[in-house]
Amino acid sequence: MTGTIPLSLYVHLPWCLHKCPYCDFHSLAHTAAAMPERDYVRALLRDLEGMAPVLAGRPLASVFFGGGTPSLFSAGAIADVLAAALRIGTLATDCEITLEANPGAIEAGRFRAFREAGINRLSIGVQSFNDRHLARLGRIHTGADAHRALSRAAAAGFRSFNIDLMYGLPDQTVEEAARDMEEALAASPAHLSLYELTIEPHTAFAHDPPPLPAESVRGGIEACVQELAGGAGLRRYEISAYAKEGFRCRHNLNYWQFGDYIGIGSGAHAKLTAAAGTWREARTRDVQAYLRDPYHDVHRRFVHGDELLWEFLLNGLRLTDGFAAEDFCIRTGLSYASLRERLRTAAEGGLVSLASNRVRATPHGLRFLDSILAPLVPDAQAEG
Amino acid sequence: MQDRIRNFSIIAHIDHGKSTLADRLIEFCGGLSAREMESQVLDSMDLERERGITIKAQSVTLQYKALNGEVYELNLIDTPGHVDFSYEVSRSLTACEGALLVVDAAQGVQAQSVANCYTAAELNLEILPVLNKIDLPAADPERVSKEIEDIIGVPASNALRVSAKTGAGIRELLEAIVAQIPPPKGQADGPLKALIVDSWFDTYLGTVVLVRVVDGVLNKGARIRMMATGRDYDVEQAGIFTPKRQAVSQLATGEVGYVIAGIKDVKGARVGDTITEARRPAATALPGFKEIKPRVFAGLYPIEAGDYDAFREALDKLKLNDASLYFEPETSEALGFGFRCGFLGMLHMEIIQERLEREYNLNLITTAPTVVYEVVTNKGESLRVDNPARLPDPGQIREIREPIISCNVLVPQEYLGPVMQLCIEKRGVQVDLRFLGRQAMLSYELPLNEVVLDFFDRLKSLSRGYASFEYEFLAFRAADLVRVDVLINGERVDALSVIVHRLQSQYRGRELVRRMRELIPRQMFDVAIQAAIGAHVIARETVKALRKNVTAKCYGGDVSRKRKLLERQKEGKKRMKQLGSVEIPQEAFLAVLKVEK
Repeated sequence: MTGTIPLSLYVHLPWCLHKCPYCDFHSLAHTAAAMPERDYVRALLRDLEGMAPVLAGRPLASVFFGGGTPSLFSAGAIADVLAAALRIGTLATDCEITLEANPGAIEAGRFRAFREAGINRLSIGVQSFNDRHLARLGRIHTGADAHRALSRAAAAGFRSFNIDLMYGLPDQTVEEAARDMEEALAASPAHLSLYELTIEPHTAFAHDPPPLPAESVRGGIEACVQELAGGAGLRRYEISAYAKEGFRCRHNLNYWQFGDYIGIGSGAHAKLTAAAGTWREARTRDVQAYLRDPYHDVHRRFVHGDELLWEFLLNGLRLTDGFAAEDFCIRTGLSYASLRERLRTAAEGGLVSLASNRVRATPHGLRFLDSILAPLVPDAQAEG
Repeated sequence: MQDRIRNFSIIAHIDHGKSTLADRLIEFCGGLSAREMESQVLDSMDLERERGITIKAQSVTLQYKALNGEVYELNLIDTPGHVDFSYEVSRSLTACEGALLVVDAAQGVQAQSVANCYTAAELNLEILPVLNKIDLPAADPERVSKEIEDIIGVPASNALRVSAKTGAGIRELLEAIVAQIPPPKGQADGPLKALIVDSWFDTYLGTVVLVRVVDGVLNKGARIRMMATGRDYDVEQAGIFTPKRQAVSQLATGEVGYVIAGIKDVKGARVGDTITEARRPAATALPGFKEIKPRVFAGLYPIEAGDYDAFREALDKLKLNDASLYFEPETSEALGFGFRCGFLGMLHMEIIQERLEREYNLNLITTAPTVVYEVVTNKGESLRVDNPARLPDPGQIREIREPIISCNVLVPQEYLGPVMQLCIEKRGVQVDLRFLGRQAMLSYELPLNEVVLDFFDRLKSLSRGYASFEYEFLAFRAADLVRVDVLINGERVDALSVIVHRLQSQYRGRELVRRMRELIPRQMFDVAIQAAIGAHVIARETVKALRKNVTAKCYGGDVSRKRKLLERQKEGKKRMKQLGSVEIPQEAFLAVLKVEK
């Protein structure tokens, strides 16, 4: 069974120069030289070695350096991790290797060095080109920094890069959002991640909510940015992801298609399948503990039955094309009949379509994914 | 012995200190050691204690050594202090020869006490006015004595002055009870006649029957007969409450105590029935009590359909101790399977609801309470309708009659204006108005359906809590009533229908849909809320659809977090009732009640 499930590698580098008020990811604010890069890379390599049995016979379809702000790391550190991945496992011939970069933390020449280290795709956290909005978002870069980072990425020869852009920003108008889009599209990205600003629990914004545009304005902004993306040949394939033909993010697609992934680094998550079943594991978020022993306090839980089905839907329904019944069966070991039964109400309500052995959220359903998923959350059960 | 028995009740308004006074009497007579003296012994249900009201009658037997050296047996029979339970008050009073009218020396007389005093007077009880809380700085015994004379018509110039809190005047009160309340009459050697004052079900003891022996004696081991049912039982145990349960070999003429006789359920020991001896039965039974009728009805539905059986069992159990609770299965298109329950009044309803939720862990939706209507159809048939959804088609109705109550409101004069306005708004007809010292006594005839709506709450708030209110059923009278239905996305929600007077229907309809719009959360599509009389829509509001409900980001490490988020959404939905594709919160079903001016 595992032979047919793609495997990816996620490398978590949890440091940021500054914690943004909307961010609910695991990240640590740090001051310049305080980041223990060498020790951390050493721990990552030990972590990866421990995963050798999983890597055996399964080439990595993608590698993703995420964070935090991975571009704070040196190209040499990135090269070391990739070299270890090649030594312990194998990379698929067309392996997509992405690095997340922050326009505020990149000097001239760094992109080229990353490219030489093996990175073949960049994801640049622009968020906005508007200095007022950037400041409101707590970003450390300016619009000029963003333009500079984009031109440096192009100059370094990256054909495939992603721009993260947020919309529905505090006090944002439709015109301002359109302007952000035009500036982003001028850099000809092959991929766009368009996120509506949402206030996540346990963030600074949740504590002290910013004045979001009126609902009708947010609706107008969304329609506008989606239209501009489509006009530039970037097709929406996931709730927030848009790509040119052939440039969908393989790594993220693997999450949404319920593929397997190894997660190394403090706070990294993995999802793996073996004969024994599907399980998730997470590395400790305590960086000091991770540095001493990457396998300190690993949290592991098996996912069965209804939970497995639900987690599959949580991911699979985000894709505009949905998923094939066959993939569901292969990746969960569950029957399609059980899935159809669980989705009956949503299908009757016009939220999902189950035509020709393919399951997908309808355009209406894509807007109300939480309403499809919430009633299907399995009742809490003892963790395996 | 019989001439040293004194049976009495305490008549008092809520908060006027009845329970504290009872505690002091028990303490003075040594019924309980100080350590055992848990405050307010007589209010035994948690709910009673929390609300400071007594729901069920109980008794306590005290030994009092009077100043003349004799030991007297004092039986204090507790009475409920709320308007819904006036029936139970008359039951308790029937077992007594006297009553203490306890009035807060600062607050003065309240309507409920007036009504209960009239009942006591009708039963020829000796009434002893007692001014409580004389330790309060605001106490004005002279004025309140005058008020008692003016309003109730009982001489009160020599009213006893006590403070249940400090214990002042308790000895004098006990002496007055002995001196002024007559001992019970009754034939000690006649055939047994014992009045069933109350009965309740105890998990360990079975049915416990509270009796007042009128004639003869009731012996342990005797074979007794229930005169209404003709069924015989053997007395396994007889006893008194001191307030601890204490077995005795017999209950003598005039005494109050309990009997346990292997009676399976409370139906076997009907309140008001007479117990006699099988060996030597009495020729005639004692006059019983008039049958009690529930006046306020509501549908109660379990939120989880799976709780239906547990719900029915809980109602059965409550019924064991509460003969006035009525219920029968009911099905609602909106709410599924549940029960239509009948109550004595609004407080009774709230208490039952709370007990079901608290003691039986049930999660219930309660529809807005309604009264019983008499409907005469074109064919001349007469129907009783206790659920607005079951009202026949307007074309088939010749006449609808609604229950009218006659009520008395006692209110300080400065609040008289607003109270009269409220009564007029509630379609009241003034029958009498009397000025009694500082207070005014307003007598009105009011439609009961206006009273169950929000009358009591508004009366309290516009008089800052000073107005008091008591009522009794008067008659059914024809009125121009219509049913207002609520339609959600075009579908009538049966549980939301209300019957109102035609003149108020426009306003009520508008208010109803406005409240619904506030309560119904935004959903995936627009929700249209309409109020209609028959096919005629009188009000409309729309709950605009949500723009979207989807998390912007979901990657490899987000599963547990998203799950928690969506679990909360699912929990929220559990408190919703699904009507077609629309989710309606429980509160919406009670919103019908909370229409405010």
